[in-house]
Formats: sequence, C-alpha cells, structure tokens
Amino acid sequence: MTFNLCVLTPNRIVWDSEVKEIILSTNSGQIGVLQNHAPIATALDIGILRIRLKDRWLTMALMGGFARIGNNEITILVTDAESASDINPQEAQQTLQIAEANLNKAEGKRETIEANLSLRRAKTRVEAIVETIKRIS
Amino acid sequence: GLKDLKNRIDSVKNTQKITEAMKLVAAAKVRRAQEAVVNGRPFSETLVEVLYSINEQLQTDDIESPLTKLRPVKKVALVVCTGDRGLCGGFNNAILKKAEARIAELKELGLEYTVVSVGRKGNSYFNRRPYIPVDRFLEGGSLPTAKEAQTIADDVFSLFVSEEVDKVELLYTKFVSLVKSNPIIHTLLPLSPKGEICDINGNCVDAAEDELFRLTTKEGKLTVERDVIRSKTVDFSPILQFEQDPVQILDALLPLYLNSQILRPLQESLASELAARMSAMSSAFDNASELKTDLTRVYNRATQAKITGEILEIVAGDIECIIW
Repeated sequence: MTFNLCVLTPNRIVWDSEVKEIILSTNSGQIGVLQNHAPIATALDIGILRIRLKDRWLTMALMGGFARIGNNEITILVTDAESASDINPQEAQQTLQIAEANLNKAEGKRETIEANLSLRRAKTRVEAIVETIKRIS
Repeated sequence: GLKDLKNRIDSVKNTQKITEAMKLVAAAKVRRAQEAVVNGRPFSETLVEVLYSINEQLQTDDIESPLTKLRPVKKVALVVCTGDRGLCGGFNNAILKKAEARIAELKELGLEYTVVSVGRKGNSYFNRRPYIPVDRFLEGGSLPTAKEAQTIADDVFSLFVSEEVDKVELLYTKFVSLVKSNPIIHTLLPLSPKGEICDINGNCVDAAEDELFRLTTKEGKLTVERDVIRSKTVDFSPILQFEQDPVQILDALLPLYLNSQILRPLQESLASELAARMSAMSSAFDNASELKTDLTRVYNRATQAKITGEILEIVAGDIECIIW
C-alpha cells in the first residue's frame, strides 16, 4: 500500500522513502495521491506538501517546482523544501510580516513581483507550521 | 647582523607554515565543493530528463513563456561572480577584467548595462568605481547553496520579467582542472525553449553534462556513486499526462532550471577559486622553502665566519702568550 516519494532540491535529497499518501499543492489546486496513481506531470505552486506515513502526517513547505508521478514513484523537484519541524515559528511569522510590509510599499512592476514572491514563500512556511499544530492538537 | 638573519628565517618559516595550512584548507574545501556538486546531481539529472521529455512532447507547439521571450536587446544585466577572499592568484582579477572587457564591448554596441555583483571582492571593486551602474550587491557565502542561487535567480527573474533588462549574462570562472580555469560569459536569460544555452558567439553550450562530469570523476569513488544515481532515474515511464497546460508546466520548470543554471556556475566559481588558492599557496610554500634554504646558508656561513674569527683570535692570543 505504499509508494516511493522522492523530494529533490538542488542541494540535496530531502526525502527518499516509502509513504502511504501525499497531498500536493499544484497550480490547479490540491491533489491527493495514493498508490497506483496514473502517470502525470504537474507544476507545483509555492505551497505545502502533506505526507502520510502509516498513521502520522508530516508537513513540508515547498517553494514551487514540479512533480512527476508514475509507476508508484513520485519525483518532486523544487527549488527549496523545508520540513515544518525545521521551521522556527517566530522567525516565520516575522518574515511574513516583513514580506507583507514590503508588498505594501513596493513600487513599480519589478518590486511588486519580488515582494509577491517572498510573501507567498513566507505564507507557505507559516501555513506549514499551522498545519502541523492542527495535527497535533 | 646574525640576529636579523635569524629573525628573517623565523618569519619565513612562519609564512611557510601559514601558506601550507591555507593550501590544506583549500584542498579540504575543494573536496566539500565536489560533494556539493555530487549532492546536486540527482536533482539536475532528473530536471534535465524531465525537460527533455517535455520538450519532446512540446516540440510541435509554439511555446510562449516569460523566460523564453526574445526581445530586441536594449539593456543587459551582467551577473559577475567573484570570490569572497583574496590570496588566490589572479582569480578575482581575471573575472573582473573579463567584466570590464564585456562592459566596454556593450558600450561600443551602444547598449545599456547594469551589474549584479556576487562576492565580496567584486562588491568592493564596483564600490570603488561609482561610474559603473550596479543593480545589487550580493554576498557569495562560503559554500553556494540553492538559497544563494535563488537570491540571484529572483533578482534576474524580476529584472527580466519586468522588462528592465532584455538579456542576462553570467560571468563566472569555469572550472577546467585544478591548474586551469577560464573566466567565461554565459547567457542566462532569455532561455531558448529547447533548453539550450548559447554563449556570446551563439555557440551552443551543452547544458547538462560535461562540467559536472569533470568535477565528479576526479576521485574514483565518486564515479561509483554517480553510476548508482544514474541507474535509478532511468526506469521511469515516458508516457506522462500533463495535469495542466504544457505552458504552465514549463513555467514551473524553467525557474528551477534557471536556479540550477545559476547554482552550477557558483559552484564552479568556488571550485576555481579554491583551486587558484591552492596553486598560489603551493607556489608561495615552494618559494618560502627556497628562501629559507638560501637564508639558512647565508646564516650558516656567517656563523662559520664568526666562529673561525673567534678561534683565530683565541689562537692568536695563545701564541702571544707563548711568545711572551
């Protein structure tokens, strides 16, 4: 009832082992993937990835990328991935506030693009933490 | 005098020790840099594979992605990768000279330009030259990771997408071998839809393989590791369905590609810097040994002369005693 999940970033292999179920945030909404999923290729938004191992859920913040599903083997390519347990909640909140402030005072097309990107990253990290806390309580 | 000579010998000895230590440190760091390249290998390999297969399926379509858009070039951004430290021979100078040459070329063509400086040495260089427009100063960090690459990628991405610049070029030092490296120019954006990157002369530089190959085969055990990774990625079903529009998928993939296209040059640049430092330190070490030998010889000769002189005096004194 398991399949292999492989999360790769340019630096390292973040995850490479068997899981039961995952929920991915794709560009066209969240999709859940179980064993024997049809082979698809999908773009991943900046968003959270939820992984189910036996009866435990884990959350990861993914900074946008790509996933390839097929043959009970999922490969996820992202620029950066952080496990929720590695994120410092206070720091993440702070970054989010800074990012929001930056977007408010951004001027011009270029600054807005940059501010939007960092805001979405900050939001995802906070979301990952919130998700984990919800699971525990 | 003799004391001065002795001091000098001691200081040369110290220099020798320091240069040797620096050489060893650089050598150890080269190994770490190689490891970083190896760790990034599964990612870049899968990425190239995916890009390739998507490319195959998209060949017939006309793809328009913001990162592949070719515009008439009015302004060029130059990303210049330098090191954080000196004492590495002509490494920093070579790349900065290359940047100056490129700037002059662009001026000649009547194009505007802006510089994104990466690395402390480059930052101070451009700080001293306020007439060169610099968009942003970035720190290189001791070991480039995806984070540093992402900062640069974000910067050039927004520069390019907001149409502030129409072309982004990366100037870095290509790692050829431990004794040879070349400063080169590499066009980052626009990406051509085939995933090929062209250099300044329009020659295609193969995106994926050769550079990594050179870095990883240096040590026998790394090759084994590479083979393992390779065999693992092959057994993927080639029939894929696209969840979204192919263009959207390409949109998601190209930033990843951009990131890895920046990360690799950063890694190579670091490897070149370390290699340059190793050889600089090794020749400094050799020079120090030579100097030490020479100085010791002079010192010994002087001591010998002094002793001989003393003996002569004593003997002369003795003779005088006898005579009296």
